[in-house]
Amino acid sequence: MSSVPLTRNFCIIAHVDHGKTTLSDRLLEYTNTVSHRVLTAQHLDSMDLERERGITIKSHPVTMTYPAKDGQIYKLNLMDTPGHVDFSYEVSRSLAACEGALLLIDAAQGVEAQTVANAHLAFAQKLKVIPVINKIDLPSANLELCLKQLEDILTISSEEAILASGKSGIGIVDILEAVVSRVPAPRWTDYPQPRALVFDSLYDSYRGVIAYARVFSGSYKAGDMMMLMNTGQRAEIKEVGVFTPKMMKVDVLGAGDVGYFVSSIKTPSEIKTGDTITLANKAATDMLPGYKEVRPMVFCGLYPVETSDYEKLKAALGRLQLNDAAFVYSSESSLALGFGFRCGFLGLLHMEIIQERVRREHDVDIISTYPSVVYHIVTHGGAIAQIDNPVLLPDPGTILEIREPTIKASIHIPNDSMGDILALVMEKRGVVEHTDTLDAHRVMLTCMLPLNEILVDFNDRLKSITHGYGSMDYELSDYLVSDLVKMEILVNNDPVDAFASIVHRDKAEGKGRALCEKLAEIIPPQMFKVAIQAAIGGKIIARDNVKEMRKDVTSKCYGGDISRKRKLLDKQKEGKKKMKQFGKVSIPSDAFIKVLKTN
Amino acid sequence: MTHVETEQAKGEAAPRPGLYMHVPFCASTCDFCAFYQIKPTPGMIERYFDGVERELELIQPARTYGTVFWGGGTPGLLTAGQLRRLGGLVEKYLGGRRATEWTVELAPGSVTSERLEALREIGVTRVSLGVQSFQPRLLDALGRQHNRGQIDRAYERVRSAGFASVNLDLMFALPGQEEAEWLADIDTAVGLQPDHLSTYCLTFEEDTALWVKLSQGRVKLDPEREAQLYEATWARLAERGFAQYEVSNFARPGHACVHNLNTWHMHEWVGIGPSAASQHDGWRGQNVSDLEAWAAAVDRGERLTAEKTCLSPALLAEDALIFGLRMNAGVDLARWQAVSPAAPWGGVNALLDRMVADGLALREGTRVRLTDRGRLLADSIGAEVMAAFTAEEVVR
Repeated sequence: MSSVPLTRNFCIIAHVDHGKTTLSDRLLEYTNTVSHRVLTAQHLDSMDLERERGITIKSHPVTMTYPAKDGQIYKLNLMDTPGHVDFSYEVSRSLAACEGALLLIDAAQGVEAQTVANAHLAFAQKLKVIPVINKIDLPSANLELCLKQLEDILTISSEEAILASGKSGIGIVDILEAVVSRVPAPRWTDYPQPRALVFDSLYDSYRGVIAYARVFSGSYKAGDMMMLMNTGQRAEIKEVGVFTPKMMKVDVLGAGDVGYFVSSIKTPSEIKTGDTITLANKAATDMLPGYKEVRPMVFCGLYPVETSDYEKLKAALGRLQLNDAAFVYSSESSLALGFGFRCGFLGLLHMEIIQERVRREHDVDIISTYPSVVYHIVTHGGAIAQIDNPVLLPDPGTILEIREPTIKASIHIPNDSMGDILALVMEKRGVVEHTDTLDAHRVMLTCMLPLNEILVDFNDRLKSITHGYGSMDYELSDYLVSDLVKMEILVNNDPVDAFASIVHRDKAEGKGRALCEKLAEIIPPQMFKVAIQAAIGGKIIARDNVKEMRKDVTSKCYGGDISRKRKLLDKQKEGKKKMKQFGKVSIPSDAFIKVLKTN
Repeated sequence: MTHVETEQAKGEAAPRPGLYMHVPFCASTCDFCAFYQIKPTPGMIERYFDGVERELELIQPARTYGTVFWGGGTPGLLTAGQLRRLGGLVEKYLGGRRATEWTVELAPGSVTSERLEALREIGVTRVSLGVQSFQPRLLDALGRQHNRGQIDRAYERVRSAGFASVNLDLMFALPGQEEAEWLADIDTAVGLQPDHLSTYCLTFEEDTALWVKLSQGRVKLDPEREAQLYEATWARLAERGFAQYEVSNFARPGHACVHNLNTWHMHEWVGIGPSAASQHDGWRGQNVSDLEAWAAAVDRGERLTAEKTCLSPALLAEDALIFGLRMNAGVDLARWQAVSPAAPWGGVNALLDRMVADGLALREGTRVRLTDRGRLLADSIGAEVMAAFTAEEVVR
């Protein structure tokens, strides 16, 4: 293999849809890493879902060989990074495994929220950033604007920009040459002990946990006793290898290399992204910087639509967790929905992805309850409890204060939607901290928002107000005290656990009314009067009535009809047994499911 | 209580059993009809008569009947001679008395002076005409074989033959029927001055042509529209002097159908003929719906009863409530508590109280009856009653 000075580790960062994956494919094709024939579009995104949504969820490294114009043959390790804020920690670890980054900007879209966020992440990792204006062959491309934004917003000299089109293969050689000449050779190679950074992992049912890692110093081979520095866990290395992009076994992984480790570790949670692998017999004393314990931020209940699917759902969640240590779940039960699971996710997209994979890859029809964030509940005794399920909120009398997580969001929007977006931010209890002009047509708002408020429809409304031109990126910020209350929904005076939520006091009434209305509309007409109420600690703040059943009577019912009629009534009665009982009201559980689905 | 309700409540004391005879013949099948009926051949009619004779003999112990009801099919498909012969078979079981009430269902097209004369002769007191609608377009749509002229002529003949009571059957909520058209039908019917009216909301029963149309989406169910039509019907008939005594039945004083009241009060009746239902001697069941199988069985000296159910006092009490609440006079709980003291009355009473609280029922002394709104929900209420009767059984 080539020596350390001839290795370049880099990644591609971009806003969603700016053409990252297509460009990666071109690079692989040009370097003959993957022949054109084998190259399915978007080669690196192996999950169907990733391909469909044009996003990368898991990192897919690949090693390319490139004979540069300087006559040397270089080893180029390309890291494909997850492209969403939910995975920002994973992004930061992938970036930490590189020395350089290609910053892709769609020539027609210009700099967007995630472009800025990703660029800042790359700067923070001290990466050499190479700007690439992509899709320059689009008729709507606006090069002048892109170059100006590069200078104004990202303070990168426009002279550094490479003009390219992943689709047509324009600028590919320029990019490869820039990687060779501008990205520095691997750093920290002279550290006295071996260190490798875990940036992802994969679970294989035969080989156990396969860690993806970037070696910074030392060398690793099969038979070595490795040690994970965060936990002190030791394990024998069974195999090391590189990505071509398929996994290919090699004898040794040395400084600067990107590859995989197969060890005796079988439990995914034992190898965490961001941990440092060293060797037991010459253990490093300092971990590579940036390790962080990842905690789920968003929670919801997942329930099988068919109760008989419970075991199937359990198995599906277990399998998904093997490849996704950031996803957590535990069993819970709900009066309205039966037996299910409380699940924790990094963010909304992560939640959506897991739900979608349960449905598609594991073929289980599921329903999810309203997402909730993790609240910090400070009680009079001074203890702080973390609550991710509104049902578990302690008696309000014991609560001193409730703190909720907030985010710092950068929102890029066209000037003319400023008024509506400000109203949206206000509605969501946000505070705009400052406004920056991006160019003649666009502004960037920096605002603080409660995480809770962006869970459901914030992004959709942002897109709708700005006709698709707005974009947002955020980072988690502090926990702040807020006037939050638990709102319960009562059907016939019985609380329906699946609809309990923690809301800001000022919004409780409106939200309560909307929910009551929806439930009243969806619950099938009832013979008895059924009240739907929203309540805060016993105080009713909104109410509605389920529609009264108007007609359910057989017209002809004579002697000859009695037996048949009894059979029908018996069926009707049995049907009720299967419904959820609220006092003496029977409500089909699919009514709850419908309400949850419409929100 | 109104006079009709008093009349109806009187029916609660156990009378002589009713006799229902199913005449399974029809010239054609209407789109909405789910009854067992076949196109007759002379041989079949002979077979039917023999069977009726045998089956009547078979009922043990030999008893006399208080009311008679001939339904079908359409008994009017029999000739005057055949009607006399069938009447002769019945007469032996009336104990030398006239029947209190003897109803015969007739299609307007089958009403002839000869047949009416025969019916009067054998002691028939009540004729029920299957009019269904006065609108030619709707009659056509239902697949009915008669027209407006035939209705008028038939009614005229029945009246002049001097039957004590005449009923007209009408149908509403027909596909394409406007509310105004239906109210006009009611007025036309009332204008003929019958003694009794039965108004049926079109029901989609399996194995009918209409069911097929419904399942193919060519006809839509609209409960709200049906509810409105029910209400409009009840209001209009009350204005016109016809008191409602059951979901679909209205009568002038003294003309409620005794035979039907008898069945709703869970008394006994004997069903003769293929597919006829019976309830007597502690069981309920239905004859096999096949002329040949039925006839062959009675020839062998047995009644081929499908789905025979044993009637415990608790089951009778349950059914008395389910079916009795369909009547405007409702049910006397005291009577059924006496019949079945062990039934779960606690749960039943709780249900009834809840119904009262929600405006579905009224309680007066030991009687319970439904409000108009409750009557429109009689099936749901029936299912709740059934649940109340079974719930505590589990506890016990």
